[in-house]
Amino acid sequence: MDFSLNGRRVASPPAMDDDPLLYVLRDHFGLNGPKFGCGVGACGACTVHVDGAAQRACQLTPRDVKGRTVVTLEGLGSGRPDGLHPVQRAWIDASVPQCGYCQNGQIMTAAALLAADPGAGPAAAAAAMDEVVCRCGTQARIRQALSKAQAVIRDGS
Amino acid sequence: MTELSRRSLLKALGWATGGIIVFGGAGGARAFPTFPYRGAPTPEDAAVWLSLRPGGEIEVFSPRAEFGQGIAVALRQIVSEETGVGLEFVRCRLPGTGMIRPARATVGSDSIKDFGPLLAQAAAALAAAMRARAATLIGVPAESLTPSGDGFKAASGATVTLSRLAKGKPLIIDEQAVATAEPHSLRPGRAHTVVGQAQPTDDIDAIVTATRPIYADDIRLPDMVHGAAIRPELVGGRIEAADDTACRAVPGYLGLHRDGDFIAVLAERRGALRPALAALEVTTRGDGKVDDATIAAALDVDAALAGGALEHVLESDDMDPAADYDVDLTLDVPMAGHVPMEPRTAVARFRDDGKLEIWTGTQDAFFARAVVADELHLDEDDVVVHGLRTGGAFGGKTLCTVELEAARLARAAGRPVKVQWSRRDEFAGNFQRQPSRHRIRARLAPDGGIDAWWHAFRAGHVIFTSAALGPILQFATSFVPDMGSKRGALPPYRARRKRIEFEDVRLPVPTGPWRGLGAGPNSWAIETAIDALARQANRDPLAFRVGAIAADQPRLAAVLRQVATLSNWSDRRPDAGRGYGVACGVYKGMSYAAVVAEVAMADGDAPRVSGLWCAHDCGLVINPDQVRAQIEGNLVWGLGMALHERLEVRDGRIQADSHADYPLPRFSDVPAIDIALIGQEHVSSGAGETAIVAASAAITNAISALTGTTITRLPYRG
Ligand code: FES
Ligand code: FES
Repeated sequence: MDFSLNGRRVASPPAMDDDPLLYVLRDHFGLNGPKFGCGVGACGACTVHVDGAAQRACQLTPRDVKGRTVVTLEGLGSGRPDGLHPVQRAWIDASVPQCGYCQNGQIMTAAALLAADPGAGPAAAAAAMDEVVCRCGTQARIRQALSKAQAVIRDGS
Repeated sequence: MTELSRRSLLKALGWATGGIIVFGGAGGARAFPTFPYRGAPTPEDAAVWLSLRPGGEIEVFSPRAEFGQGIAVALRQIVSEETGVGLEFVRCRLPGTGMIRPARATVGSDSIKDFGPLLAQAAAALAAAMRARAATLIGVPAESLTPSGDGFKAASGATVTLSRLAKGKPLIIDEQAVATAEPHSLRPGRAHTVVGQAQPTDDIDAIVTATRPIYADDIRLPDMVHGAAIRPELVGGRIEAADDTACRAVPGYLGLHRDGDFIAVLAERRGALRPALAALEVTTRGDGKVDDATIAAALDVDAALAGGALEHVLESDDMDPAADYDVDLTLDVPMAGHVPMEPRTAVARFRDDGKLEIWTGTQDAFFARAVVADELHLDEDDVVVHGLRTGGAFGGKTLCTVELEAARLARAAGRPVKVQWSRRDEFAGNFQRQPSRHRIRARLAPDGGIDAWWHAFRAGHVIFTSAALGPILQFATSFVPDMGSKRGALPPYRARRKRIEFEDVRLPVPTGPWRGLGAGPNSWAIETAIDALARQANRDPLAFRVGAIAADQPRLAAVLRQVATLSNWSDRRPDAGRGYGVACGVYKGMSYAAVVAEVAMADGDAPRVSGLWCAHDCGLVINPDQVRAQIEGNLVWGLGMALHERLEVRDGRIQADSHADYPLPRFSDVPAIDIALIGQEHVSSGAGETAIVAASAAITNAISALTGTTITRLPYRG
């Protein structure tokens, strides 16, 4: 399947057309951002952006993204001055990660949320972030980082 | 100081080529998994942990695994503080069995306490060696040199950079130098610069940008294939037969591998595994009878008490069952899962020389090596386990599981194999937190203290888990009290008479170490009963605790007083739908926590935690940012215990298949958290499991303050 992956046109092998997109991204394209957490759409660890929206790569196949634009954590900051999206910057500044394994899903979900709704209030934030599981207990820091990133994005800096 | 003296050490440092790096003397541990563990680290061990590399960097070979507790950066901070070398020039590599001498499992919050001081000694020895070499290089007395972060400066103004120091010759240290070194970096009360600094976890850049491989699933080898073991659906079940005829239609399917009870499928692509597993005809055996009621019956502490004293008596005053007690509670803690976000993953490959390499995220690389070598009839020296950053462990990644599966399949396939557990495997294929049932009877003394305290409980095994021990060892250990199940059972309060007795029960579902072991459940039970006593006495629960705390626990009283200030306790009164609760505890006799929770509960709604405050004393803090993160994690775990977590068994089957069936605290369930770190005049202890002793009870006590009813069963879902 042909699609755009982190700004490049790519083709996934036909033998993988029915595989979860997550495995195609990880095993064929060698990407490390999207993670396997549950494989059934229940945790958010595999989140990628498809045409800008947060989607679960374990629930998609290459057929679903044919001709569309896929961005992973690797491509999120591209074109930014320091290579970091404001959400990534805020995640570092607030020292969010513990084990780090869920953070792909947290960051990609937060970035899609703020892109779609820069003024997202607590209810919208909860609706998006509640669906991404963190077992280590970084939720309080995620909230701090999210509002920091939101301030940066709204101020346009 | 010796240089280049030991061949094995040189190999570990990478100067010798070829061969898998080997250190002698692991043996002995393989029959027992987490117990008994390898001994405490020695100066001989520590001499291998540190070296100055030719590039001018100090390299730490960590003897501790990293799974989010922030140990790697803490170890770097100790080395930086001790040597005066800037933190940016100190790097840390996670434990591989080829790098260091056998180190015990990373468990029990003891990394800083048990490894920190020795690492500081090694760093002091390295600092002395560096200084001596610098003095020789520029021909000045060693005393005239001061560290400048990236090297040394002489009184004359001459400088020596780290890379010049290390040029051509690695700088290593020996056992003698470590044993005699006198470090200062962990001495409380001294002015520190790097120790005490907030630092994010190592690898935060790779976590946030995914630009470097750091987890086991990021390892991809040429020609690698994928495998998945088949597990019985039912608890205690067995696979009798597997027919893979239909699997052969799945493109990429490679075959079925069977070796005794181990059955697995192999495929070229990960995507072929699930269709292959779906096509596989499996005949299993299992009685399907185990359920929550079976487990509850096994834990029936009252039935056990009817037969007299319980098997293990920790405090032995006599108690009269017929007497009146002010508080008489039966309390239930269910089974719970670890649910690390990273499912167990390992990559195994046999090299051309027949040696086996494994990449994995584990709490115990050396145990994994011992088990794999034993099972595959390899010499331990011919197996190397590379420990990678692990996506959460929580006591659950202490046994050898996926590593052995990958190794067996790599041998069968003749190709490198990656095995990653499914989420179902994580829920059902691992051991669980032991459930427990407690009976607590207590009586108030006329002076407002505690007259009698009688705590009897039955709990699943923790250390002598059937997940790890064969039947013979299960029998052999069945007479010894399980030190995991009883952790935290002694209350930190004064009572005129005390009786504490328990039984560890072998349950049909394997149980084992889960963050804090028995301390979380036991202290929840104790702190629930203490709160009920305070209510009975009509006393403020915080003041009641401060008054009842044993005289030898001043640090516990201190965290309680501190959390009162932090949370503005004296002004907090339950009002329309908002309640406040407090709890406290001591972890492993070394660390202290007190927690205040605010819970909001509108009529008929589930309770919501709207504020958490924690005062915490784990002695001198190396990295306040990471200690706070550990406390935050423990508070969220306590919240999960209190309101969410329960692993159900029905019809012989663990019911959870994914996160959808096992609710954990979510983003909007977690309130803002306020933390005070005190007690830094004491030596460092541990922070990884401390606050869990107070978190769950603070929350359930807050609900009880609102409703007037003691919560006797976890989780409370309203
Ligand atoms: S791995 Fe896709 S949602 Fe869990
Ligand atoms: S940081 Fe470990 S699961 Fe979120």
